[in-house]
Amino acid sequence: MADLSSDPKALSGRTGFPRMNRHDLMTALATRWRMVPVLIALALIWTYFSWANPLFISPRNLSNLSLQIVVTAIVALGLMFVLVIGEIDLSVAASGAVSAAISAGLAVNAGVDIGIAILVGLGVGAGIGALQGVIVTWFRAPAFIVTLGMSLILQGILLDLLPEGTNLISLVGTPLGKIATLYLSPGMGIALLVAMTALYGFLSWQSWRANHQQALGGSLLREVLLPTAAIAIAGAAAVAVFNAYRGVPGLVAFLLVLLAAFSYVTTQTRFGLYLYAVGANAEAARRAGISVPLVRIAAFTLTGLFAALGGMIAAGRVLGVSPDSADTTLLLEAIAAAVIGGVSLFGGRGSVWAALIGALVIGSVSNGMLLINASTQTRLEVQGAILTLAVVLDALLSRRGGAR
Amino acid sequence: MATHTPPPVLEVRNVSVRFGGVAALTDVSMAVWPGEVVALVGDNGAGKSTLVKTISGIQQPDAGEIIVAGRTHAMKGPQDAAAAGIQTVYQDLALCDNLDTVQNLFLGREICLPWWKGRRMDRARMEKRAREVLSDLDVKIRDTRVPSSSLSGGQRQSVAICRSILANPQVVLLDEPTAALGVAQRKQVLALIERLKAQGRAVVIISHDIGDVQQIADRVVVLRLGRKVAEVTRGGYSRDELIAAMTGALDAAELAALRKELAHG
Repeated sequence: MADLSSDPKALSGRTGFPRMNRHDLMTALATRWRMVPVLIALALIWTYFSWANPLFISPRNLSNLSLQIVVTAIVALGLMFVLVIGEIDLSVAASGAVSAAISAGLAVNAGVDIGIAILVGLGVGAGIGALQGVIVTWFRAPAFIVTLGMSLILQGILLDLLPEGTNLISLVGTPLGKIATLYLSPGMGIALLVAMTALYGFLSWQSWRANHQQALGGSLLREVLLPTAAIAIAGAAAVAVFNAYRGVPGLVAFLLVLLAAFSYVTTQTRFGLYLYAVGANAEAARRAGISVPLVRIAAFTLTGLFAALGGMIAAGRVLGVSPDSADTTLLLEAIAAAVIGGVSLFGGRGSVWAALIGALVIGSVSNGMLLINASTQTRLEVQGAILTLAVVLDALLSRRGGAR
Repeated sequence: MATHTPPPVLEVRNVSVRFGGVAALTDVSMAVWPGEVVALVGDNGAGKSTLVKTISGIQQPDAGEIIVAGRTHAMKGPQDAAAAGIQTVYQDLALCDNLDTVQNLFLGREICLPWWKGRRMDRARMEKRAREVLSDLDVKIRDTRVPSSSLSGGQRQSVAICRSILANPQVVLLDEPTAALGVAQRKQVLALIERLKAQGRAVVIISHDIGDVQQIADRVVVLRLGRKVAEVTRGGYSRDELIAAMTGALDAAELAALRKELAHG
């Protein structure tokens, strides 16, 4: 791609032909092609369930499936930030529930404007994340235990926040309670698709043009047209399926916009690069003049923010906040989604799209297992096996990637 | 002996560093001229690392001065040393394995587009500059977009050195640049040091490898127990003499003979 010389022997520093060897293949799988095995797994899962029960690929089921994964995907997106810097946050479910309880309490019981109530809740989630980040960074305490402790504290606070007796803040009839029932009109769905595709096409064209101005070369077809066309085709298929039912679910549209925005942040901005640098080699990042504590605290803050967002959407979908809102299933599924999607637990690797694809894998298995009337035990066994496979793949790729 | 009429680009003057009751460096002086490679050798605990840390601003001297291009610098940190034109490359600590060559070269000083273009990193300009630096120093990287984990040890060290060159420093400090490298890769790095020299930069290298030192260094400063015990020029010493000076096996007369050479220089 970026040959500086025409002598193939001098190029790679080792003798031999510039063909892809095992090591290069593992490196590619760990980076550029990280999504390939996950997408193959997803395709296999979908094929199997479609064969076992054709209802699985009906627009109605796929529409519901994508609504079911929104919360997991958003929390997994948040977790990705701490995982990339090599940390973890076990408090996301509890902090999401507390944030949702505060927003719901303000909106429903105190009569505060819903917009302000949501902002306060998001602020609380971000604040919890920032606090954990500060503790982990300043005291060099292991995030595993700090966030576990915080999770217990938050579960206690949640019980304090919920009204005595009913232990429930109901969201029935409130704007928050309607979010899961919003659908974009067919025209709006298409408009969203066109806008996102055009934005992607424009940004990649800009990069391509900048490369040309610097005489770096690069193929317009491979770097701009093909990826944009791929997004357009995949997006058109998705919108067509959604429009065959009730249109693109509002929450799904929101998730996609969020993923696109943070894909930009993580791949195109300095801050995003610093997350990966800190995750791979904090000492090198420090020596390069990066404020490692600031990056760490920012990552935890983002995780807390997305946890709060996920908690509110979860509350909106189940029409209330209860002690069950802090259920650890969400935490475990979100971590599983991130790992299945290719976010490395060893830090330094993973993209925001991992959250979507990982959540789709987990959601598809849950959904499909229900459709084929599989027992709970089978469902748990299959999900566990997929997660274990994913983490083994991660360990394998991490070892190969850092083998030098 | 070469006579240096222009002023040295880096001068260490009577530097002492104490850690509590332990004297890590005592009254050490040395000078480096542009286009010169000076090797710092010595046994473990001789004070090489302390001296490099002092020059690169990480360690503040208790006495003495660091003079860069004729100006005394009171360096409070690595940033001050960088501002004065000194860059330090530490042994295999410099690179992030998951980032590619361009990202590693520019880490911490990325070129960004203005805010109205979304504060995007200007990959094209960085890539262009990276290729210039790499080709100036004749470093061969097949693809500047693959993660550094897939580079060889010599390539990684070369990238780390190129990273320091981006700031266009007058003085480059290299801490054990060839340690843990194979024969071919070591040759790569030594050739790279020659090119830094040809660019007119002053290079200070710490090395344990006498063979490397003999091959690359124009002058050798020998430290033992925090003091400078000898300074010899290329061709003016044998391998055994150097080892003897490092370990203290040299007797006083032999040391004086070596030192006379220093007086000439």
